[in-house]
Amino acid sequence: MYKARHAWGFLSLPMLLLLIFTFIPSVMAFGLSFTSYNPFRPLEFVGLTNYVDAFQSSLFYSSMWNTIYYWILVTPALVVLPIFVAILVNQKLKGVKLFRLVFYFPVLVSVVVTALLWKWMFAREGIINYFLSLVGFEQIGWLTGSTTVIPALAFVTIWQGFGYYMLFYLASLQGVPKDLYEAAELDGAGFWQKHFHITIPMIKPMIFFVTVISTMGAFKEFTLMLTMTGGGPLNSSTTVVLLVFKEAFERLNMGYASAISFILFAVIMLVTLVNQRLLDKNPNA
Amino acid sequence: MAQSAPKETQTPTGAVVKHFPSPEPKRQGSYRSRKLSQKLISYFFLLVIASITVIPFLWTISTSLKSQNDAVFSIPPSFIPSQVTFENYITVWNTLPIPLYLWNSVILTFFGVLLPLILCAFAAFPLARMQFKGRNLVFLSIVATMMIPNEVTMIPVYLIINQLGLMGSFTGVILPGAVTALGIFLMRQAFMGIPKEVEESAVIDGANIWQLFWKIMFPMVKPMLGTLAILSFIASWNNFLWPFLILNDPTMYPITLGLYQLEGTFVTNTRLIAAGAMIALIPILLVFIALQRYFIEAAYSSSVKG
Repeated sequence: MYKARHAWGFLSLPMLLLLIFTFIPSVMAFGLSFTSYNPFRPLEFVGLTNYVDAFQSSLFYSSMWNTIYYWILVTPALVVLPIFVAILVNQKLKGVKLFRLVFYFPVLVSVVVTALLWKWMFAREGIINYFLSLVGFEQIGWLTGSTTVIPALAFVTIWQGFGYYMLFYLASLQGVPKDLYEAAELDGAGFWQKHFHITIPMIKPMIFFVTVISTMGAFKEFTLMLTMTGGGPLNSSTTVVLLVFKEAFERLNMGYASAISFILFAVIMLVTLVNQRLLDKNPNA
Repeated sequence: MAQSAPKETQTPTGAVVKHFPSPEPKRQGSYRSRKLSQKLISYFFLLVIASITVIPFLWTISTSLKSQNDAVFSIPPSFIPSQVTFENYITVWNTLPIPLYLWNSVILTFFGVLLPLILCAFAAFPLARMQFKGRNLVFLSIVATMMIPNEVTMIPVYLIINQLGLMGSFTGVILPGAVTALGIFLMRQAFMGIPKEVEESAVIDGANIWQLFWKIMFPMVKPMLGTLAILSFIASWNNFLWPFLILNDPTMYPITLGLYQLEGTFVTNTRLIAAGAMIALIPILLVFIALQRYFIEAAYSSSVKG
C-alpha cells in the first residue's frame, strides 16, 4: 500500500528542519566548545582551553553554585507541594474545578509579566515584607540582597510552576482505583495513612517523572533571572545558563560559552542518573 | 477584586479555624462529621493557596488603576485605589504601539501553532503507519534529540539563522520551533491508534496518499492536534528569548518584548508598567477562559504520554 518514497516524501520537510535546527546545532555546539569562536575574530582551534578556563573561573563556580542552590530550593518543593494540591483538588467538592483553573493560570503567564509582578511583591516596601512585618520580621530588599535573591527567585518559580505539576499528579491520581481508598476507610485509616500507604506508592512513577523534569527545568532556568534581576546583585543570581547567555551574546565569547553549556549538560545528565538510581530502586513501582 | 481582601479573614476561614482544632467531632467518631470537617479543612487550604496565586494579579490590577495621588508602595499596602482611574492605560496605549505589538504576537503565534501541527503530523504519519528501511533509525534519532536541552544548541542555532540571512525576520523567530521532537512523538502516538481498516477502505475507494493523509488520517487525530495546538500556543505567545535575540526592529516586537521595553521606558512609573502588564495579560486570560477545558486536557495528555 505504501511505498518508501511516500514515507520519505512526508518526512523530508520536517527532517530538513530538524537537521538544520537540531542535529547540526548539536554537533556544532560541541565543535565550537573547542574553538575561540567570536564573530569578529577568525575561528581558531584551542583544544581544551575553554574547559580549563571555565574550571579556573570563579564566576563559573559561583554560577554553578547558584544553579545548584536554586535547584535544591525549587525541585523538592515542586515535587511535593503539587501532590498535596492535587489531592485537594481531586476531591468531590463544590467549586473545585474553579480552583484548578486558578492554580493553573500562572503557568500561562509569560516570564516577563511574572518578573514584573514579583519585582513589586518583593520590593522593600512591597507586600511580602508587609506580611512578614505582621509577624515581626524586618524589611528586607529581597532582590537586592545577595543571600536572599535566590530564595526569592525560587519562590517565584514555585508559585508559577506548582499548577503545572498539579495537573500531572491529578492525571495520575485519577488512575488510582477508588476501592483501595474505600477498603482503607473501612479499616479505619485516616487521611495521612490513606495517602502514605495508597496514593504515594501508586503515583510513584509520576513522582519520578516530575523529579526529572523539574530538575532539568531548574538547571536550565535563566529567563526569569535575566528579566527579574539581570543576574545581580553582583552575579549572585547568575545561573550557569545565564552565564552562557551573557558570555555568548553580550561578550560574544561563543566558544567559551559553548564549553560551559556542555559542562552543564554533563551535570544535568549526572544528576538525572543519580535521581534515577535513588528513586527507581523498585522497578515495579 | 475589591471584596477579596476582607474575604480571607471573614467567613470560611474563620469558621474553619474554630472547627479544626476541636477534637470533639473526631472523638465522637461520626462518619458524617468527620467528612464535614475534612471538607472545611480542604476549603481552608484551597483558599489559602488560591490567595497566594491571585494576590500578585490583584496587586497589579490595583496598581494599574491608581492615580498619582495614591502611593504605590505604602505600609500597610492599599489594595483599593482611593480613586479608580484608567489614565495609566490610556497613557501606555498612547505612548507605545500596543496594537502593533499584539498584532505581531498574533502573527508569530499563528505560524508558531500552524507549522508544528502540519510538520509534526507529516513526520509522525510515516513513522506510525509505514514500513520502510531506516524507520527505526529516524525515530530513534528524533527521540534522542529530546535529551539535548535547547540551551546547548542556542548559540549554533543563532549562528545558523544569521547564516541563512533570517536575522531580524519573523521567519527566523518561527522556524527553529516549527518541528519539535515532542510534537512528533505525541502525533505518532495518535496515528498509531487508528485502525488499519480505515486506510484500507480509503485506498479501495481510490484515495491517493495525499488525499488519504489530508481527508482521512489528519482529521482522525484531531484531539492530539488540539493538544499540540495549545502547547504551541502557550510557547509561542510567551516566547521571549528568540524574538529578543533575532528581532532588532522595535516595530516587529511581540507583546512580551514590548513589555520588556516598557520597563525601560517608564523605569520608575510602576502604575504605567502595571497597566502594560495587564494589557499583555488580558488576551491570554480571555483565550484561557474560552478554552479552559482544552488547556487542561492538553496538559493532561502531554503529562500522561510525554
